[in-house]
Amino acid sequence: MANVMKDYFLDLDAAHKNPARKVAWCTSVGPAEILRAMGFEVFFPENHGAMLGATRVCMDTIPVANASGYSPEICSYLTSDVGAYIKGITPLTKAFGIEEVPRPDVLVYNTNQCKDVMHWFEYYAKEFDCPIFGIHPPTNVPGIRQEYIDDVAQQFKDLIAFLEPIIGASMDPERLKETVALSLEATNLWSDVLNMAQTTPSPLTFFDGTIYMGPIVVLRGTQIAVDYYKDLLAKLKQKVTDCHAAVKQESKRIYWDGMPVWGRLRALSNTFEENKACVVASTYCNSWVFSDFNPENPLTSMAEAYIKIFINRNDQYKEDYIESMVKDFKIDGVIFLAARTCPNNSNAYYNLPRKLKGKGIPTITIDGDLCDLRCYSDEQATTLIEAFLETI
Amino acid sequence: MTTDEIYWGVDCGSSEIKVVALDTQGTILLKRKQKTLFPLQDHVRHALSGEEGDLSPFVTDDSDEIKSGHKIVATGYGRKYISFAHDALTEIKAHFIGVQNQLELNKAYSIIDIGGQDSKIISIDHEKVDQFIINRKCAAGTGAYIEELGHRLEVPLGDMTSLASGNDKELSLNSYCTVFSGQEVIKVLMNGERVENIIYALYSSVVKRVMEMTSITTDIVAFSGGVLRFHPKLVEMFTEKLSEANPNIKTMLAPNAQYCGAIGAAVHGQTA
Repeated sequence: MANVMKDYFLDLDAAHKNPARKVAWCTSVGPAEILRAMGFEVFFPENHGAMLGATRVCMDTIPVANASGYSPEICSYLTSDVGAYIKGITPLTKAFGIEEVPRPDVLVYNTNQCKDVMHWFEYYAKEFDCPIFGIHPPTNVPGIRQEYIDDVAQQFKDLIAFLEPIIGASMDPERLKETVALSLEATNLWSDVLNMAQTTPSPLTFFDGTIYMGPIVVLRGTQIAVDYYKDLLAKLKQKVTDCHAAVKQESKRIYWDGMPVWGRLRALSNTFEENKACVVASTYCNSWVFSDFNPENPLTSMAEAYIKIFINRNDQYKEDYIESMVKDFKIDGVIFLAARTCPNNSNAYYNLPRKLKGKGIPTITIDGDLCDLRCYSDEQATTLIEAFLETI
Repeated sequence: MTTDEIYWGVDCGSSEIKVVALDTQGTILLKRKQKTLFPLQDHVRHALSGEEGDLSPFVTDDSDEIKSGHKIVATGYGRKYISFAHDALTEIKAHFIGVQNQLELNKAYSIIDIGGQDSKIISIDHEKVDQFIINRKCAAGTGAYIEELGHRLEVPLGDMTSLASGNDKELSLNSYCTVFSGQEVIKVLMNGERVENIIYALYSSVVKRVMEMTSITTDIVAFSGGVLRFHPKLVEMFTEKLSEANPNIKTMLAPNAQYCGAIGAAVHGQTA
């Protein structure tokens, strides 16, 4: 795993230093397949935000962004990343010896997850005087209508037309099909990996998943991601055969909704382990399962897959989705993380926990954040989790 | 089980360490409390030992070795930092067990507990915790909030209930934030407002901050925690507010309200 991510970042760094190669920045559930098929190396600022969170470097960079006019109430991936840019630092230096994040030749975002990504990418468009293109799909949809798909597929076509002058070539339709086929294969394997946790005891935890998910976020559309997940799946199958439990004496199975608290993965993982509870499934890790990709209809299938993501759906869909996950993964209780700076990915705010509770599913809500530890109390979170585990 | 067995409960709260000892019949042998100071373990040890000649779970004054037949269970925020405790449980479960032990209720009920740094609502059904919630924003609605504003007003905590009872106006303090609430207090003070009305507003704010955490659906509500024990007017105001939503509501302050967490921990030691 470490080598896969290291090679990815080192190759990005090489591309950044080679004028003949082009770098695109893309949102994590943006149309990476189009960019890859057109020969761009793709960098994902949200992944960088997560690294800033996991290393807790963000606690030095968020205040810098705040002082520069970006509110503490907005996406802390944005403020972590913009603050790091202003300070001229990146966790890539310590991890891989990379001096700075690769500069973009183009910025492409998709507001299917939130509008903060638009503000974030617009900041860099101005900073780098860089071309920018936004995909604006219908949001919070109950179901998928053909006109939504047609709309987004057309926006993808417009994006391709926008990108062709930048690379000085036309999109190769065969290469796009191949890239979507690789994305589909990787995403199906990723789904299989996550579904291994349906086994009791589970061979992996949500916290493992937040590490394993690196390639499905940053290497979709490559053979590298496919190979990585084939290998990981084989290892997990062997663990199941060997009855290897991720949490020894697993006695409670938990579902995690919302963002991870990146700076507290270890501490939270330990809390669950000490209480013999395994977080076996999550909305977050499953957000990179795009089973609608179809290489025969690359643009329309991508449009459908990227509109359909959980975060872009209405309340009823989310309720039904979590309910089905509870059944499939034999969940004893659901923990909602209410992330202060990420309301779009915090599903506790509109009464969902109580609706599930009404269906006999125990729930608890923890206040916190993806990166900003000013919004998180270790003691309160631990007490809430332990008290919840005591009661279910 | 021998008659020599003694069960100690230690509630390591943010303001005070509370200790109780129970015999095998569940009779409270002693209650002690002291300010929470650090190193925490040393002060918990002191609270458990008492003064010279008092009942103590330690073999000697200067060791952490526990006497045979004595069992210590810790709860509260400091529960994990007591190395000589035999077991630990969260304050949610401890308060439930403690209140249940004191009141022996056999119907669905809710507990409102206000401590130094948190407030909780716990709903009990079939003698088990069904749901619970802890305050999520700042200190508003907790003992720390009352202490901070009492300090600003230079009003001793023990005088607050009688002062609040002398109000002639219903003012509002709105902020979630203790500091901003302090600013609201200063503003009304500058306008010459009576301190009685401000204390009433402070209590009223605590009631609102707690009641907005969740809707209480039971007909019985038990109060626990030191804040409610020492601010009877607050109990009265909670009861009034609860009665507005449910005329059949029955409220009660748990006996030994400040010690419910420690009692729950000790009872847990008896049964675990």
